[in-house]
Amino acid sequence: MTVRFFATIRTYTGETERRLDDAPATLRELLTALAARYGTLFRRAAFAGADLNPEIIILVNGRNVLYLRGLDTALSQDDEVSIFPMVAGG
Amino acid sequence: MFGWTGTTLRVDLTKGTVTREATDIGLAHTYLGARGMGGKIILDEVAPDTDALSPANKIVFSPGPLTGTFAPSAGRFEVVTKAPLNNVIAGSNSGGAFGPELKYAGYDALIIEGKAAKPVYLWIKNDEVEIRDAGAIWGHTTPDTTDLVRAETDEDAKVACIGPGGEHLSPIATVMNEMHRAAGRSGVGAVMGSKNLKAIAVFGTGAVTVADPERFKTAVMKARKMIQEHPVGGTGLKAYGTDVLVNILNQTGALPTRNYQDGYFPTADKIGGESLAAKQLVRPKGCFSCIISCGRVTKVDNPAYAGFGEGPEYETAWSFGADCGIDDLDAITKANFLCNEYGLDTISLGSTIACAMELFERGIITAKDTDGVQLTFGNVAAMVEMTRKAGEGEGFGAKLAQGSYRLAESYGHPEYSMTCKKQEMPAYDPRGVQGIGLNYATGNRGGCHVRGYTIAIEVLQNGAVMDPRITEGKAGLDITFQNLTAALDSAGACLFSTFGIGAPELAEMLSAVTGVEYSVDEFMKIGERIWNQERLWNLTQGYTTADDTLPERLLKDPIKTGPAKGEVNRLGEMLPEYYQLRGWDDKGVPSKAKLKELSLN
Repeated sequence: MTVRFFATIRTYTGETERRLDDAPATLRELLTALAARYGTLFRRAAFAGADLNPEIIILVNGRNVLYLRGLDTALSQDDEVSIFPMVAGG
Repeated sequence: MFGWTGTTLRVDLTKGTVTREATDIGLAHTYLGARGMGGKIILDEVAPDTDALSPANKIVFSPGPLTGTFAPSAGRFEVVTKAPLNNVIAGSNSGGAFGPELKYAGYDALIIEGKAAKPVYLWIKNDEVEIRDAGAIWGHTTPDTTDLVRAETDEDAKVACIGPGGEHLSPIATVMNEMHRAAGRSGVGAVMGSKNLKAIAVFGTGAVTVADPERFKTAVMKARKMIQEHPVGGTGLKAYGTDVLVNILNQTGALPTRNYQDGYFPTADKIGGESLAAKQLVRPKGCFSCIISCGRVTKVDNPAYAGFGEGPEYETAWSFGADCGIDDLDAITKANFLCNEYGLDTISLGSTIACAMELFERGIITAKDTDGVQLTFGNVAAMVEMTRKAGEGEGFGAKLAQGSYRLAESYGHPEYSMTCKKQEMPAYDPRGVQGIGLNYATGNRGGCHVRGYTIAIEVLQNGAVMDPRITEGKAGLDITFQNLTAALDSAGACLFSTFGIGAPELAEMLSAVTGVEYSVDEFMKIGERIWNQERLWNLTQGYTTADDTLPERLLKDPIKTGPAKGEVNRLGEMLPEYYQLRGWDDKGVPSKAKLKELSLN
């Protein structure tokens, strides 16, 4: 599994991507593990209490997890997860 | 009048006359300013069969009632005219500082008609207006023009001007202001060029009067706070600029690649906002009264592409980048600087070069056509060289400067021009994002994202979310965005303030400034009226439902790689509902009932 970080998320992780040999079963588990690794700023970006932070955008294989199962979205080893803060432009 | 100045300036370049007129109050209340007011003036004063480059066309520079106040990001104005690119009412929006200065000089609109016998520029200092000789300035780039005009007028004058692009009457020529801000689309710069009008310099010592200062101050402070607290309006855009979009569109699988042959560009990260911030950013920059500061002051040190200026924006990084199969940010930024200097639309020119690259790779054109250049996807030096040639109007560049539709059609293959109504689509692949495809297809000015930026909801999660892959609900979404944006554009506010505020805040600020009560419904209705007005004009130009479409590639050829592999745009599922919700018949013609409701003929 590849997890990619973008924009300010990169400043929290210090890297642009991380490959995982063992995919966590759900997005919740993935984000919890990443928060444990990267610390408070990442955790605050990812979570609002026990819920997904509304100001984070997470795509699994290009699909926003809000149309999948949110934090309960199941993950598999082939998946690509992309994590963005809210971004914009025109 | 409050908000509005009450005065419209009319300059006849044929006769050399300057007339001050009272701004039509009814017009102002109903159409606000900028896009709406300018569009109404064109509709009323320019005969539909007028050649866009003839002296009979008119060009209107119009700020809005909010422009020049301290409402957040209230620095916008529009350049409105019959479009040389595609005959629509071109309403090209721009920031910088020119719009506020027009208000301070005392004007709601500057209407320019006729044609000067020789190159001229306008010098507007409050009430004093001169038509001056521009013989020594003609031929110069936009930054040099700005400096030269300021030297002859006032060093603090705000200058809108054309470069060689507009002088050559390129249908993708821009009007630049403050050197680096573009009124970019639809060839408005060519209309100035056709009138021998090189530049307009404005200096104003007046102010915008506000009807209810206390109410306005409260509304503005609230709006500024909402923008500041928004992750995008508050910090995101300042940190990374619009170019931050490269990666999210690519990860969504909707970054058009190699002339829309694909929707995923593997090395996209090299041209995104993160890379730009790391390699080229000198500092962010904001326009008048703006805390968002999305602008990029940039510098390229690489000697091959050395330069200094502003940009690139996302659309530009895409058009000269992924769309040309190029991941060299230095070269892309150089192309961006060249476009600003020559006064050419980065979206249209980048997309046109991409079109030429496809024609070349398919053998439809050869090195004989392209001045010996191997114009293939990924050829960085060729892309930059062709940009320069387009600006100079030199060799094959002169053909590129005509835009991709005319280019591809001249070689018998218009299907490789990625345009709607002859205007190049911007940087969102409708096969990966359904609703933006409907917006491109129904856009009054052709391929355009800003006037119905459903991306905010379909991809960027700005306040609400809708799945980009579905067509349900997209007709309504598009209409809401199109109407809101038309009203916002006409008020003089910046679209990016909607990363923070919405119609309620805009209507409140507008009411407080003007003393005219605008409810949210009325504000949206103004937008709907303007949209329908632009549609009515298009009907006079021969546009029909057949033109509310996308290139066949996007309807038939699935995306080849990436997260949206296999997708096409399903316009047919959205368009009938769009017409119906708009109150139009099944040919896309506004019904009599709808026109009556909007007080349109």
